[in-house]
Amino acid sequence: MTTTIDQRYLTFSLGAENYAIPLLSVREVIAVPEITPMPFTPHHFLGLMNLRGQVISVIDLRGKLGIKPTTSSENAVIICELQSGHLGILVDSVNAVLTPAADQISSPPEVKGSLNRECVSGVFRHEQILILLIDLEKTLSGEDRKAVSSAAAGQASSPHKVA
Amino acid sequence: MDEFDEIKICFLDEAEQNLSDTEQCFLALERSPGPEILEKIFRLAHNLKGSSKAVGFDGLGAFTHDLETFLLKIKTGNVQLQPEIVDLLLRCNDHLKYFVAELRANFNAQVNSEGLLKEIHQYMEGRPAPKPVEAPVKEAAPSALDESLAAAMAALENADPETSSPSVPEPGPEFAPEEIVLAQPAVSTPVVAPAADESIRVSLTRLERLLNHVGEMVILHSVLKEQSSVNTSAFLKKTIHQLGKVTREVQDISMGLRMLPLKPTFLKLQRIVRDTSRALGKEIELEMIGDDTELDKTVIEKLSDPLVHIVRNAVDHGVEGPEERRAAGKVARGTIKLKAYHHVGQVIIEIMDDGRGLDARALVASAVKKGLIRPEAKLSDDEAYNLIFAPGFSTKEAVTDVSGRGVGMDVVRTNIDQLRGQTQIETKLGQGTCFRITLPLTLAIIDAMIVRLGKERFVIPLHHIYESVQASEMKLQSISGSGEVLLLRGDNIPFHRLSTLLGRTMSATSESGMALVIRASHGSAMAIFVDEVVGQTQAVIKPLGQEVKKIKGFSGSAILGDGLPAVIIDIPELVKRLYPNLSAASSGARAGRSIGA
Repeated sequence: MTTTIDQRYLTFSLGAENYAIPLLSVREVIAVPEITPMPFTPHHFLGLMNLRGQVISVIDLRGKLGIKPTTSSENAVIICELQSGHLGILVDSVNAVLTPAADQISSPPEVKGSLNRECVSGVFRHEQILILLIDLEKTLSGEDRKAVSSAAAGQASSPHKVA
Repeated sequence: MDEFDEIKICFLDEAEQNLSDTEQCFLALERSPGPEILEKIFRLAHNLKGSSKAVGFDGLGAFTHDLETFLLKIKTGNVQLQPEIVDLLLRCNDHLKYFVAELRANFNAQVNSEGLLKEIHQYMEGRPAPKPVEAPVKEAAPSALDESLAAAMAALENADPETSSPSVPEPGPEFAPEEIVLAQPAVSTPVVAPAADESIRVSLTRLERLLNHVGEMVILHSVLKEQSSVNTSAFLKKTIHQLGKVTREVQDISMGLRMLPLKPTFLKLQRIVRDTSRALGKEIELEMIGDDTELDKTVIEKLSDPLVHIVRNAVDHGVEGPEERRAAGKVARGTIKLKAYHHVGQVIIEIMDDGRGLDARALVASAVKKGLIRPEAKLSDDEAYNLIFAPGFSTKEAVTDVSGRGVGMDVVRTNIDQLRGQTQIETKLGQGTCFRITLPLTLAIIDAMIVRLGKERFVIPLHHIYESVQASEMKLQSISGSGEVLLLRGDNIPFHRLSTLLGRTMSATSESGMALVIRASHGSAMAIFVDEVVGQTQAVIKPLGQEVKKIKGFSGSAILGDGLPAVIIDIPELVKRLYPNLSAASSGARAGRSIGA
């Protein structure tokens, strides 16, 4: 059981950048469904979708990571299996399944940017393209929940006058 | 997890089932001892011993071995069966349950069984001069009672550090699907036969996945049916019609999978009645009616605690001791009746005792003394009876071990409220009390209203909505600084717009709009204005994802007829999050209403 297998990754693009997540955390990829928006959620929380009878939250990963949305219409939703349950992430396009060797993956570069470094667990190159391995648990779990609850709190505390 | 660990877990599951079987057998033994029951107990103990040693739980095996020897002596008549011994056996059973629970947490757990083993050996050697008792349940002599209590305390100290009260055993987390019928009074012979139905255990997650797919199937079928109306093929139409029938059938069956009979819960109560009444020196008969009534698994789980509290309360405070009963001209033996039945789409559970009943004046006096209500408060009898659900209220002077720590009965109200159920009390002084609990069949489905706000649709549980008023018939009055009120038959009801509550821009009061009058349990009324009421539906409640679960005001989601999800709004919570002060005021009013301060 301890034989090391090079992990497979699903790569996708967000704006002009390329990202990858472990294939094992992907349940399926679907076309963008109709999404019901939900009140009191941050901007990148798109809403709820129905995946064969299961209600799943969909978030816009571009909005989450602060990437400018391109007008690309090739949107897809990747249904991920996280510890907290299923989650749909909206991406510009799904590209390929790659299997980089473990020694090809290096630690994330020290660059200034909008992207929280914690979210990127490593990088690798494929055909001269830099692909960032993204840690969805870190990206979405704690911090996102904070964002949701603070957005909710902001809503609650903002003065609403009843006419 | 390695394969052997899986075997161990399998064993523990099985052991739990066996132990709840044996518990029922021990109770049956007390009522009417018979060789076939002893045989069954012996067999169960033997199985437990064998398999626990096989999977390497030697400590458990060793204890069961001694227990088996003891049972053998009882079986062969070397040790005479008497209530103290049944008591001991029941305590051994609790001990084994505790042992199994410990092993589940840690495979290497060791539990000290010496106290119980010592007692077992004493009985086997015939040392504590057995006092022969003819009938299984006779009036417990004070000395015997003391003895058994002392023994229970000893066992508690030595063997059972986790269990806080000896008379109320921790229930096993699982119940065997097949149980022994014990429902009728003592005269009937308990039937100890393997259940005819075979059963398998399925995890709830798998069941929920099945239900999700079935729900989707129903929606796809309705889409297909709509499409077929433009198609002229009679064969296609017929097939779709048949598919519809099958789909409905599958839906009914799969919904029914979550339903469990009340019997295991009732049987647990039987044990509690037995132990508590013995500890208090009372004679109480428990009658069970309708224990095959089925309820949703989640409802049953949440119902267990309230029922335990009510029954314990009935034994402790309701039914009088034999002397008092005789003095009042009643039969010495009290009766507690548990009754479950269906009534217009709901399940009703009644807990009736023929005890002393509730005294409204005494309740009020006690509440005043405890500072729960003001002396000048005027309470109706019903309000007075409901005082027993108030936190910190207990009518008995002395705090007993059984009940009367002043916690418990308020748990009843809270849990039943959470189940969207209601509690009623009927009582006659000197004749008895009846607690009536009304519950929905399932928590998984609610009757709901679909409302529209702009382009969005929301689901509001129907049990929140008392009535609706059309926009054209609304009489609104604004009060500067505190918003609008709806004038309705002389009542002034706070008026909120759903758009405001959801932080949207105010939409104009459209003609198709509707004000829904909401009355939360024990809360004050409020009116919510929506753009349109789209319709009513039976919504299957789907949980929200972790990311949004914590947002207050939404209790889940539901998939509407067109396959799109919508959020279920918990109106009282939503109002509370927007107007925290208002909620404080209304909960103050609520306290005033329910306690009469």
